[in-house]
Amino acid sequence: MIKTEIVQGKIDPFPSEDNHTGEGAEVVFNGRVRETENGKPIVALEYEQYEGMADQELEALAKETVEKFPIHDLFCRHREGEVPVGESSLHISVWAPHRKEALDALSWFISELKKRVPIWKWAIYPDGTKEATSHEC
Amino acid sequence: MTIQVTVRCFSHVREALGKDVLNLELEDDTDTSTVENKIREMAGDNLDGITLRVAVNREYMPEPIALKNGDEVALIPPVQGG
Repeated sequence: MIKTEIVQGKIDPFPSEDNHTGEGAEVVFNGRVRETENGKPIVALEYEQYEGMADQELEALAKETVEKFPIHDLFCRHREGEVPVGESSLHISVWAPHRKEALDALSWFISELKKRVPIWKWAIYPDGTKEATSHEC
Repeated sequence: MTIQVTVRCFSHVREALGKDVLNLELEDDTDTSTVENKIREMAGDNLDGITLRVAVNREYMPEPIALKNGDEVALIPPVQGG
């Protein structure tokens, strides 16, 4: 099963449940906003999306990941708008029978997300100015 | 015969043009590469060195295609999700 969403405001994490009896690995990833970009302090990152295409690409990528790797479930929430330092901008939960495929699937999914899902981010500095950034979470 | 297309602008493209949306009237059978060239020309040197992928009606187009009346085109600068 897959579930993907682009959300505004704080990300509500997917529940860590005890009823996935067929999966021995639950891998959870939280991408958080660092306090510096390009060596300069920031107060937040601002994410913008191509509404209607970003969610479509995110869902297609999740489906492709579940088909490519022997995993059962992939859940992803990506935030849009302003995300203060320390908060999570990306939350992913992968369930698989074994850890290796869960970790491999997670790594591939994030790499592809950064190549094809039309979302962009801007560093916001303490003086309120903004600058495009391409650094990874 | 002309067609109307909408160009959605994001990130560097929006900054370069100062607009979120452009409505263009084009000759029939204009393809996406012509739209990209037009946008780059409008942007001056602000998009130099920036690779743009093309989406039509919210799907990536790996090759130039002829546009139809009412199409939505986006020139997508390198994405930065995560």
